[in-house]
Amino acid sequence: MLAFEAVTKRYADGLLALDGVSLRVPRGQFCVLLGTSGAGKSTLLRTVNGLVDATSGSVTVDGLHVTPRNLARVRPRVAMIHQQFDLVTRASVEANVLAGALPVLPLWRALADLYPPALRRKACVLLDAVGLGEQHLRRPAGELSGGQQQRVGIARAFMLDPPLVLADEPVASLDPRTSRDIMDLLHTQSRERGTTVLCSLHQVDLARAYADRIVALRDGAVVFDGTPEEFDEDRVQATYRRGAPDDAPSPVPMQPMRRVA
Amino acid sequence: MKATVAWSARPPQDWALPPPYGWRSVGVVLLAALLLWITGQRLEMGRMVVLTSEAVQSALGFRDSSQVGNGLSRLAQSMLPLQISERTEVARIEGFDRAHLPWFSHLEVVEQRRQKLDPQTLQMVEQVERQEVLVEPLGYLAHVLVKMLETLEIALWGTLIAVLLSLPLAVLGAHNYSPHKVAYAGTRMLVSLLRAVPELISALFLVLAYGFGPIAGVLALGLHGAGFLGKFYAEDIENAAPRPQQALLAIGAGRLAVLRHAVLPEVLPKYTAYTLYLLDRNVRMATVVGLVGAGGIGQELKGRYDMYQYAHVATILLAIFATVYLLDIVAARLRRRMDRA
Repeated sequence: MLAFEAVTKRYADGLLALDGVSLRVPRGQFCVLLGTSGAGKSTLLRTVNGLVDATSGSVTVDGLHVTPRNLARVRPRVAMIHQQFDLVTRASVEANVLAGALPVLPLWRALADLYPPALRRKACVLLDAVGLGEQHLRRPAGELSGGQQQRVGIARAFMLDPPLVLADEPVASLDPRTSRDIMDLLHTQSRERGTTVLCSLHQVDLARAYADRIVALRDGAVVFDGTPEEFDEDRVQATYRRGAPDDAPSPVPMQPMRRVA
Repeated sequence: MKATVAWSARPPQDWALPPPYGWRSVGVVLLAALLLWITGQRLEMGRMVVLTSEAVQSALGFRDSSQVGNGLSRLAQSMLPLQISERTEVARIEGFDRAHLPWFSHLEVVEQRRQKLDPQTLQMVEQVERQEVLVEPLGYLAHVLVKMLETLEIALWGTLIAVLLSLPLAVLGAHNYSPHKVAYAGTRMLVSLLRAVPELISALFLVLAYGFGPIAGVLALGLHGAGFLGKFYAEDIENAAPRPQQALLAIGAGRLAVLRHAVLPEVLPKYTAYTLYLLDRNVRMATVVGLVGAGGIGQELKGRYDMYQYAHVATILLAIFATVYLLDIVAARLRRRMDRA
């Protein structure tokens, strides 16, 4: 389903974010990435949909190599859920969920904001599935609570029934209870559809509760790959131990890195 | 290093306080004063102060007369009373139908006595000329209001054209959506150019191209407005939150679709505010572009002014003032309603 072959990423400022990562994620697996901030989790996720270009090595989704030429075919098969939800805050909840279907919509329909009725119906079904109701349909997404916004984000991700969902710390800005609800939701929704999930997390307990498999990264390299049961306290210590030359480097930049003088 | 430590370790009552004004502020003030003195000399600002104070003194009774005061009072005398009615010689109306007079109008017969030299007797003879005149008591006011309406229509269409022109300019002139560096630079230049040419100047030339009338006015307002909106629309596109856009790009949505669904909803309230401001401004500018013949109330104003019909001018000015004032009230209400929403 998803394969990384010796993926290395070095950012323009010299930061080595990924150091020869090889990984195969079989269809339907719920795979959790753990590691400190800057261990390379986000960068690894972003190589899958081409938000980050790997410096060397290859990423394959459903047999498709992720290359700039293939991006248009890869991206509609890979949905993504974000830490900051990344919804269009002033657009309605319905518009946000429907935006998940934009890749398959003809341009004129996209520009005229005319989604086919079948898609609109599907958005309603998905919103219902993630625990939101008819009363939320027209509200601006920015008015919802964090947990509700992430529910919208999950509904948006499943709009095209993607075979693969990337989740980049989907619960990092939510309180512990809401985090568990959201992880629960993501878990059940992906199980029902047989969706493969690659999810980065900060909470070891959530990883143990929901993951089929845990992969731990440290300084851009895989330091653990196994079942939640095998991820014992020693492994946790090894993954999160402070040390090495520098403190945790900054996480993946959204904007181009600070310009070098 | 040691000195720094000793310095920062002083007790707070001994800390050196920066002076409120430095040499730099003094220098700036002196320079500004010098500049104002030179430019004031060139523009005869001293004479302005003298003339104005003379006018105030004469208004308060400390002086017999003043140049400015006399001018103003002459103007006021010729402006009042306002011209409200319209009188037209019946003989000059083509196809005049006595049975169907316009609403609220009546006919008057005016007798004019004239002294004329009789060529045969070589003596002055009094002649009586009878003229029939159509009197419309509110005729001129109605005419002004129609012209005012035309001005509002010019403003509305000018704004519409500005919006239509500026949308593509905004996309091409936003560096994150422009298809090419050259297109970006070219669009930015065009937008600056459009904004740099004042409506009155472009109207002057558009009148030559399109002839007298509202078309030139609409285009003049539309072009300048497109420069204004194009700049602000583009800057909002550039400043829109990047993460929601990236989220949609990441699942393979096209750039135009992202622009429509991730950028437009974010910038729409600001766009509406800019557009309302432009409409407000265009109503005022539409009266001005009329002065060069681009239709509307301004054209009427210029015509009457050139014929020294100051009573007509006064009616027009009052109509303009009332319209702008009403518009201000409406715009303020709209803005308040939008803020609440």
